[in-house]
Amino acid sequence: MKNYLVFPAFMALGFASFAPLAQAGELTVSITNIRTDKGTLLVSVTNTEAGWNNQEKPVAATKVAATGKDSVLHFTLPAGSYAVQVMHDENDNGKLDANFMGIPTEGYGFSNNPQVMRRAHFSEAKFEVADGASSIVINLR
Amino acid sequence: MNRRELLTMLGAAAVSGAPRWLLAQTPQPPAFDALAARDPWLTGWKTFGRESVGPTAATMQGRWPGSLSGALYRNGPAWFDRAGVRYQHWFDGDGLMQAWRIGGGRVTHGARMIGTYKFQQEERSGKFELPAAGTLIENPRSIRNNDDVNTANTAVVRLGKRVFALWEGGSAIEIDPESLQARGPVTWRDDLVAAPFSAHPLLERDGSAWNFGSLAFFRGSGLVIWRIGADGKLGQFQVLDTPEPGYMHAFAMTERHLVFMLMPFSMISVDGAFFERMKFQPQKPCRVALVPKDALDSPRWFECEFAAAYHFGDAFERGDDGVMRVVRHRDAEEARSPMASAMRGERGSNTLGTDLASLHLNLKTGAANWQAHGISGVEFPVFDARSKGPARIFAPCSVGQADAPYFNGVASIDAERGRTKQWRYGARILVEEHRFVARPGSTRPGDGWLLGTLLDYEHGRSGVALLDAEHVDDGPIAMAWVPYTTPLGFHGWFAAA
Repeated sequence: MKNYLVFPAFMALGFASFAPLAQAGELTVSITNIRTDKGTLLVSVTNTEAGWNNQEKPVAATKVAATGKDSVLHFTLPAGSYAVQVMHDENDNGKLDANFMGIPTEGYGFSNNPQVMRRAHFSEAKFEVADGASSIVINLR
Repeated sequence: MNRRELLTMLGAAAVSGAPRWLLAQTPQPPAFDALAARDPWLTGWKTFGRESVGPTAATMQGRWPGSLSGALYRNGPAWFDRAGVRYQHWFDGDGLMQAWRIGGGRVTHGARMIGTYKFQQEERSGKFELPAAGTLIENPRSIRNNDDVNTANTAVVRLGKRVFALWEGGSAIEIDPESLQARGPVTWRDDLVAAPFSAHPLLERDGSAWNFGSLAFFRGSGLVIWRIGADGKLGQFQVLDTPEPGYMHAFAMTERHLVFMLMPFSMISVDGAFFERMKFQPQKPCRVALVPKDALDSPRWFECEFAAAYHFGDAFERGDDGVMRVVRHRDAEEARSPMASAMRGERGSNTLGTDLASLHLNLKTGAANWQAHGISGVEFPVFDARSKGPARIFAPCSVGQADAPYFNGVASIDAERGRTKQWRYGARILVEEHRFVARPGSTRPGDGWLLGTLLDYEHGRSGVALLDAEHVDDGPIAMAWVPYTTPLGFHGWFAAA
């Protein structure tokens, strides 16, 4: 049977290591609309299409227990273009659960909060990080 | 500090200390209310505007039979306005669950807005912020899945001891039968979270239920078929591919088959709400699937001349003839947004333009043909499911003069013989679906009552009426009224005590 809404599983995040970066700016990522305090938020920062599409390791990644409606994370990154995706693994099974049609049943979100009923493209989630402090808000859906 | 300064400070403190959801409870009255004050028939499409009402003891009229005991649950869209925005499509309103409880010599009424995710979020924010089925919402919040926009506003069913509010694009929402509080979306199986469970399940005699869900809402084609056991648990689940996408709101069944009629449509634009973008394609045939109940993966497909239909009556097989009763909407564009004029506060050109027809499926040749019955202006058909052959259809109808472009009577239709009995409630009464309730202890098909709800806008009251199903033209045996109105709903369910 077909997947009526194609929504690939989030990449297996490379938590153990990622490429070292020259420190330049601090990106604050505020995650809002966390629906349950169960499970873990998995956050991945990528700067290439290949990274977004799970073909490279992310430039930064972290995971944090979901403890409230909001969560604030900080990343140190050189200036450049990035995209952030967040998955709320509510049952801690290591994947974004979906129903038989491939429609997600756990929380997720992307930088820029694109209004799409599918996994966002890198171009839709891409934003610029300048030197110094910058911040984005990702509303989980 | 003078008195004015003190009051201002106290007022500011009171406001700043109030929870957001409470602030959201006290908006300006919707502009539509002024239109309804001018044209009171529009009361049927006013926003309910409160979380709940009742239970209220109703004023009784006539003689309520002692053997009739239970709850008539009703569901329908009831919240159309927030922060100056009014939905344009009737189907968009958030669901209101009502219960008329009958027994012990009294009738009570209670109602509660269904606490869906969408309703809760928008109550907090005080504005529409999630996408709607028929109205484009500016800058909507992104949604996780279809259940985020589930309004649970279409129908209600009791399966086993469980009561469910139903929509057509998402999960059933379980409702506490007494308090009417929402218990949340139902997951019949882990991989079926948010799978569409439509609004018109049909019961087998053993108490189990069939239902379907349309995958056309998800940019695909196909159906899912559900069988829920008499215990309220999932029995069977089947995915059925369809030749092309088709819209379908309800279905019918014979002793041996489920019958699904898919109406061809296309999406005429990329942007916009579903019912804004979809357009029926009357130039194409409807596809009809005859699905054996004992072989859900083996449909037989028919094609018939296009008809736009939401609701079906009885279906039966007689030799090589499979027959399904259908309420057809004459204007496919009107069917895309019924009573759109009323939603705008306008009278519009006429009432719902419908007729009752039979679709004949020739099981020998594979042909499918329509038979018109010459009966127009009806909707929300019901019948006694104990009937094994052609059943009487009971439906709200337009009878004589009416001051509102809506149903003002109820009809009992013998389509086989072309005979109709009608009862006219009056010029200023809006008439909703009438459920068939079998008389306790009876086995003869047709032996029972009709239990239907009314909105008497002239006197600002909502009510429930009981008629003898075999003597509809005699009018109500009994009625009961509460001194307030609730918006017109769609479908109900009588749950015997």
